[in-house]
Amino acid sequence: MNIMSETPTYINFEEYSEHVPASIPSAVQQATSRFVGGRAARVAELPQWEELRQIGSDIRLHTIENMDVYLTRLEEKVISAGGHVHWAETAEDANRIVLQIARENNVKTAVKSKSMATEEIGLNHALEAAGIEAIETDLGEYIIQLAGTGPSHIIVPAVHLKKEEIAALFSEKLGIYAPTDPIELARIAREILRGKFLNADMGISGGNFLVAETGTLVMVTNEGNGRMCTTLPDLHVAVVGIDKVIPDWESLTVFLKLLARSATGQKLSTYTQFITGPRRAEGEFGPKVFHLVLLDNGRSKVLKDPVGREVFKCIRCGACANVCPVYKNVGGFAYGWFISGPIGAILSPQMLGTQTARELPYASTLCGACADVCPVKIPIPAILRHLRRRVAQGDEFAQPSIPAPIRVSASIVSFALAQNWLYRFGTRLLPALMSIFKRGDWIPNAPYPLNRWTKARPLPPFTAQFRRWWKVRSSKRKRDSK
Amino acid sequence: MSHPIIENVRRSLGRTAQTPLGLPPTIYESRQAESVDSEIERFLSEVKKLSGVGQKLSPFEIDVALETLVAEQNIRKTTVWDTPNLNLLGITEKLRSLGVELIPPNASKHEMALCDLGITEADYILPETGTLILHSSVEKPRAVSLLPRIHLAIIRPELLRADMHQVFAEAKDSHYLVFITGPSRTADIELTVTLGVHGPKNLYVWMLRG
Repeated sequence: MNIMSETPTYINFEEYSEHVPASIPSAVQQATSRFVGGRAARVAELPQWEELRQIGSDIRLHTIENMDVYLTRLEEKVISAGGHVHWAETAEDANRIVLQIARENNVKTAVKSKSMATEEIGLNHALEAAGIEAIETDLGEYIIQLAGTGPSHIIVPAVHLKKEEIAALFSEKLGIYAPTDPIELARIAREILRGKFLNADMGISGGNFLVAETGTLVMVTNEGNGRMCTTLPDLHVAVVGIDKVIPDWESLTVFLKLLARSATGQKLSTYTQFITGPRRAEGEFGPKVFHLVLLDNGRSKVLKDPVGREVFKCIRCGACANVCPVYKNVGGFAYGWFISGPIGAILSPQMLGTQTARELPYASTLCGACADVCPVKIPIPAILRHLRRRVAQGDEFAQPSIPAPIRVSASIVSFALAQNWLYRFGTRLLPALMSIFKRGDWIPNAPYPLNRWTKARPLPPFTAQFRRWWKVRSSKRKRDSK
Repeated sequence: MSHPIIENVRRSLGRTAQTPLGLPPTIYESRQAESVDSEIERFLSEVKKLSGVGQKLSPFEIDVALETLVAEQNIRKTTVWDTPNLNLLGITEKLRSLGVELIPPNASKHEMALCDLGITEADYILPETGTLILHSSVEKPRAVSLLPRIHLAIIRPELLRADMHQVFAEAKDSHYLVFITGPSRTADIELTVTLGVHGPKNLYVWMLRG
C-alpha cells in the first residue's frame, strides 16, 4: 500500500484500486452512510439551504476571480496584527520555511493538528529528516501516523482500522497494554498526547479559512487538539493554501453554516477558532509568535483555466466523497495523494499535471451525485469531462493520450454533425456505403477499423430516419386535424 | 511591488494591480431572534443534544449547584476566569469553603492541566447551535475552557445573539475568539462517539436569571 505523504510522480489509480483490501470498502461505507444521513437531516432542517449554497458558490467564485486583491489585503492585515507572513512557491519552499522557523526557535518537538496542506507538502518527513519530532494529534491522524499509512477518509482518516488492530498498534508502538475498547483507546491517546501538547515547542496547523478583512485564521475542529496546538506552545506556524482566502466575516457566516452540516452532519463543529495574530499578553495563553505560510504549490497556475479553477471553491467537507459510488468502493488510498474522492479527481490532475494524474478524471461514473451535495456547487462532473478532454487532446503538461488519427476523425465527425447539410448528406451516404457489407438484417463483417466490433458480434446497419419519420408524422397530423 | 506569487495569480486571472475589485455578492439575511424565553429554551435544548448539561439558575442557587457539582464530579482543583461577574457571584470563596484548591487562571499550563474544573463566562451565545463564544485576555485565559476535564460556563440572557452575523459585527476586531459547541468529541475509532478526547469531557452551562 502506498504512503501518500510525498508528491507522487505517477498515480496509478487502476493498479491502486485493484489492490484495495476487502476491509476498506465496508469500513468506508459505514462512515459515509453515517455522514450522508447526518448531512441530510441537517439540510432538511434549514429551509434556506439552497440559497446558502448559491451564495457560498457566488462568494467563492468572486474570491477566486479577485484572489490577488484579497491575498494582498490578507498579508497586510496579518502583519499589522503582529503575525509573520511567508510565501511558499513550492512544497520544498514551504518545508524549508517551516524548518527554518523551527531551527531559529530551537524546536525539538512539534504538535500538529490535522492539515491537508502539510500532507500535501510532506512536512512530517521533512521535519523528521531534520531531527524534529512531529506528532499528529487528531486521534485518527495519530493512529495512522503510528501505522505509517495515509488517510482512507477525509474526516475519519483511520476508519479502515478495527479497534483490535488499533489496540495491537498501541501495544506494539507505545509498549503499553491497550484494551480493544474505542473509549479506552481514546483515553490512552489523550493521556499520551496531553504530555506532548504541554511540552511541545511548536504548534503546527492548517486552516479552514483566511479572512482577508482582518487577517484572521479560522480553524474548525472537534476534538480540541487544534486548540491545544494553538494555545499551549509559544510558537504557532500555520501552513495554508492561498485558495483558502475569503473576503470578510460576513462571508464566513455562510461557510461556517455550510461546512459542518455537509461534513459530519453537525450544525457547527465543536471548536471554531478565530486567530488574528499572536497573543497580546502572556497570561491569556496562546503563542507568543505567529507565522502564516501561504502555499502556492501550483495553485496560481491552475487559476489560468477558467473551467478547472472552480475546484478552489472547495471548503473540504468531504460530502462529495461520501456519496461517490467509486470512492465508496476503493477508499481514499486509491487516489494516490493527500486528497481523495471526486474532489481529488479534479484537483490532483490540475496541481500535479495531467500526465502524473491522468487516470483520475476517469475514476468516476459521471453520475453527478457529488455536484448535488457540494455545498459550494462545484460542477465536478463538468470539470471531470473538461479534464478528460485535456488528457485526450493534450495540454501544457502532457502529450495527447488519444492517437492522432482518432482525434482527427473525431474532429471531422464533430464538425460534420454540427453542419445541417453535411449531417443530412451523411444520413444518406452511410446506409448506401453499409449496404455493401450487409447480409440479411445485419453486418457480420465490417471493414477495418469497425471489424473490432464485428469480431465479437454483428453490427446493426446504420439507419437515420428520424427526420423522415417526423416529416411524415407532422403531415399526417395536419391531415387528421383538418 | 507584490510578491511573485500574487503576480502569478494576477497573470493567470488576466488582471493587473490596477484592475478594480469585482462586485462582491450580497449575503443572505440573518436569522431573526424570538422571545428571550424561547431563545433560552432553544439554547439549552441544543446544549443537551450535544451531550452538555444546561440549566437555568437564580444567583441564589449557585452555591447549592456548585456544591452538587463538586461532590458529583469529585472536584479537587479548579481554575476560574478573573471577571467582575464571577467575582460578584463569590464563586472562588464558595469553592474554597468546599475544600477545593484554586489555581490562578494565569498559572502555568502544567498546573492548569491538573485542574478538574475550569469556570468561565461567555461573551456571546448562539441559541440555534447551542454555542458559547469566548474572547481571550489576561482575565479570560484560553486555557480555562480547554485544559480542565470539566468546563462550566456561567452565562446570562444578555449574551444571546440571533445569529453569527451579530456576533461577528461586534467581535471581528478581537484578536482571538473561540466558538464552543458541546464537549470535545471524536468518532475516529470505529465511528464510536467518544467525549473528552482532548478538550473537556463534560460541559456544564448555567444560565443565570433574576
